[in-house]
Amino acid sequence: MIAAFFNLLIFPGFLFLAIFGLAAEYIDRIIYARLQNRMGPPWFQPLADLIKLIAKEDVIPCEANPRMFKMMPILALTAAVTASFYIPLWGERALFSFNGDLVVVLYLLTIPTLTFFLGGWYSTSLFSKIGAMRAITQLFAYEVPLFICILAPALLANTWSLSEMAAFYAAHPFYWTFNLIGFGVALIAMLGKLEKVPFDIPEAETEIVAGTFTEYSGKLLGFFKLAIDVEAVVGASLLAAVFLPFGYGIGSYLGFVIYVAKVLFIICLLALSRTIFARLRIDQMMEFCWKYVAPLAFVQLVIDLALKGVLIR
Amino acid sequence: MGLVRKIVTWARIKSPWIIHFNTGACNACDIEIVAALTPRYDLERFGIQLKGTPRHADVLVCSGPVTKQITPRLKRIYEQMPEPKFVVAVGTCSCSGGVFQGCYNVESGIDEVLPVSAYIPGCPASPKAIIDGVTKLLMSLEDKEGSRIQGPGSGKK
Repeated sequence: MIAAFFNLLIFPGFLFLAIFGLAAEYIDRIIYARLQNRMGPPWFQPLADLIKLIAKEDVIPCEANPRMFKMMPILALTAAVTASFYIPLWGERALFSFNGDLVVVLYLLTIPTLTFFLGGWYSTSLFSKIGAMRAITQLFAYEVPLFICILAPALLANTWSLSEMAAFYAAHPFYWTFNLIGFGVALIAMLGKLEKVPFDIPEAETEIVAGTFTEYSGKLLGFFKLAIDVEAVVGASLLAAVFLPFGYGIGSYLGFVIYVAKVLFIICLLALSRTIFARLRIDQMMEFCWKYVAPLAFVQLVIDLALKGVLIR
Repeated sequence: MGLVRKIVTWARIKSPWIIHFNTGACNACDIEIVAALTPRYDLERFGIQLKGTPRHADVLVCSGPVTKQITPRLKRIYEQMPEPKFVVAVGTCSCSGGVFQGCYNVESGIDEVLPVSAYIPGCPASPKAIIDGVTKLLMSLEDKEGSRIQGPGSGKK
């Protein structure tokens, strides 16, 4: 009982993920700033933003549905934290695992996007409604390539459990190099999932104010921001577990360092793309994802199917 | 309780998010405000970020004498911001009305309409002056630490 609460709230649950998420946001922002040739924020900036938002007044528009409006940020945060329990962070075993947890993790990581949609929809402001519609439109563009390219390595490992996948790739050291196309596709899809440039169309501040979050303020906005940070870390952990499965079984301390390094590497790639690309229009994004990214994901699937026939009898 | 208040004050000083609103300026001050937000002056060092919506903002940065037409809109934007909130007047016109003082169509300065926390004079106020003014406003919050920080909104004119 106490161990369960410890796992849920402190490690590797809420507290660890929140601190790691804030640190990842800082690293994202400092890389963005350094690439623009400026100093960037101090190290405590994401924490200061969060505390300030929690201490601010919550304004709920009188047109909005107060229950849904208040529930959505908490739901987003909960879903993102829950997804982390099934991902092997360091070592081959996740905290919990069963056959099929890969699909559960993917669905849990979809819930934040759904809450952005519902939160924006129930704030009833025009800008948030446009943002909500864009969020759900974007979901259809990146979700299919993401699912295909994450299920392809699972196909090679012949299991739908993340822990067993990690064990398979640990037993066959260089098999992960076959999945590099899938890694690229998953990175692009992750940009869409986290609503980062070039796919920050739902919260494009130069067009639709702040998109889905236009009416959110204070605590609720703080929870949404924290949920996005946690989702970034959990998503990066998922990519690390599926596409970079090495460095297991060398002691928990060194394993932890390697895990953090892998996640930060993925965060750095996301920050880099945020710097070098400009925002796409929603139709350009759909076209890009369906014309180029989804076929690449299918190529990954075919490669893994062929390899399965050759390598594994 | 004292520790919590100290942490909250620290967080508020370190993370002021601003919203920029043109209250009838000639556009010179607006250009300077936007210039102050560019990588050259890098206001993110102080945690300052430009936000699009008043719901996210802590500081309302106004420029220009308040025209009669924009007064109700300015009040509405101010009321949409969650507490605690501050108003910064950028440029001579928004401080006192400037050359438009006494004109038939202006209110002669932001403080005729809203309580103002910091005045930044200049025609236009240079980015350096804006950064100086904003950091002075943040420092004045630090001095008030101990008493509960509230925007001056309660005693609205």
